[in-house]
Amino acid sequence: MSETRSRFPRRQAAIVGIGCTEFSRDSGVSTFKLAARAVKAAVKDAGLRVRDIDGLATFGVNDSISPNVLAQALGIESMRYYVDQWLGGSVSLSVLGQASLAVSAGVAECVVCYRALNGRSEIRLSGSSSSRMRPPWDMQFRVSAGYIAPAQEIAMAARAHMLRYGTTSEDLGRIAVLSRHNALDNERAMMRQPMTMEDYLASPWIVEPFRMFDCCLETDGAVAVVVVSAERAKDLPHRPVLIQGAAWGGGVNIVNNGRTDLAESPAKLIADRLYSAAGVGPADIDFAELYDCFTYSVLSQIEGYGFCEPGGVPAMLAKGAFDRARGSLPINTHGGLLSEGYIHGMNHVFEAVQQIRGQAAHRQVARHDVALVTGQLGYVSGYSSGVILAGG
Amino acid sequence: MVPVPDRDSARYWAALANGALELQHCRDCGHWTWPPRPVCSGCQGENLAWEPVKGTGKVYSWVVNHRAYAPEFAALVPYTIVLVRIDEQDDILIPGRLLSAVEVYQDLRVRAAPERLTDDIGDLNWVALLE
Ligand SMILES: [Zn+2]
Repeated sequence: MSETRSRFPRRQAAIVGIGCTEFSRDSGVSTFKLAARAVKAAVKDAGLRVRDIDGLATFGVNDSISPNVLAQALGIESMRYYVDQWLGGSVSLSVLGQASLAVSAGVAECVVCYRALNGRSEIRLSGSSSSRMRPPWDMQFRVSAGYIAPAQEIAMAARAHMLRYGTTSEDLGRIAVLSRHNALDNERAMMRQPMTMEDYLASPWIVEPFRMFDCCLETDGAVAVVVVSAERAKDLPHRPVLIQGAAWGGGVNIVNNGRTDLAESPAKLIADRLYSAAGVGPADIDFAELYDCFTYSVLSQIEGYGFCEPGGVPAMLAKGAFDRARGSLPINTHGGLLSEGYIHGMNHVFEAVQQIRGQAAHRQVARHDVALVTGQLGYVSGYSSGVILAGG
Repeated sequence: MVPVPDRDSARYWAALANGALELQHCRDCGHWTWPPRPVCSGCQGENLAWEPVKGTGKVYSWVVNHRAYAPEFAALVPYTIVLVRIDEQDDILIPGRLLSAVEVYQDLRVRAAPERLTDDIGDLNWVALLE
């Protein structure tokens, strides 16, 4: 009886606005101000007003401003949906997926997802931890080993992949070089000087097998995106970017028993669900913005999201498959976290929306209707997240 | 850097302070659980007993850390961190510093080298087993 009357959930959601601040090493302002600026810019881009917002969602490790505080400062009096998700890049896209569910269900009408951080000048997530940062539960089992940084955990997985499939430093280097190349003509990017393979190989070890250029930047800045119903999106200025599918979750992380093969991509645990939700497969993806806290994360996701068999990425790199201008699957068209900036994955959404709208200027890819955008794959928290976006 | 024990892990750290690697062993299903948790990772029961393991295993993966991610590690850099698959159970991979100055490779045999940090808290690192 009741199920026939329920309208929960009832509609599709779309991204209709994007906003960001400058990406820098020292913003000189609070994360509160960064968040407010990005949210206001995104709402303006959407052709809406701040008072139209009735939902705010973010994530972080106690290093940023909460939705309720931000809402009150922005004069939003009708908050219906607010999420302050604790965790890092693994939830960067589940926050967006959850916002789209809230809109789909009619819980809220206009949700803005944002990430604001002073990741270089205030609280660095690289492992040089601040006492303000909330550590993961398993940190007590890592501190005595000096095994406290995401770079170390993912380097451990990269080593396992090298041992199993013969992956080389040069393979990782090609990903770093490609990302830098894509950043050169991106006015938002922090790193706009060219990088060669020689530069990559000459960069200092951070945690072998990772060199400095295997690791993402540390950035001050903010990004916000506006989610409304697909129907309402039709009346707004830009081409709607439909949230075709979203998936998040996974299994276990490195230090919790159950994962015995680190070479296997944790992204595999959500890939089928994501494609099935979106009604598309890997062959339908025009371009991908893959969470690239480290070069190896990109390689592992290309496998995990089904673009090749395990061990197949080097051959694709050699063929130029991921090149922005000519490749069959352009990736990280803005330079990614490696060369654009580290807004914890939200800058990937910003770029994907610009590409789908056809607003990416010199960076514009030829086929730009369907994008895969991902969060950190489940090596650190154990969970991955991703969305498939499509032009409406 | 000294770990901060909780109610589920205090015994683990105390055993290490006394030179022993003890893990939770399930009396119902026989599974070993690591890291210390309130429930068995095999059957989710609570019938867990602290028991010493052999303390041996083999290296599954490793990294060489060149950067001090916290000031406490500055004097150690560079240091090698190994992920050790313990002999008792395939799905337990325990990290620690490799204290031996040997060339590390996959399947290198190692043994636990607990070290007392305080009366109640020990450290777990690994040394190469020369066979
Ligand atoms: Zn059990």
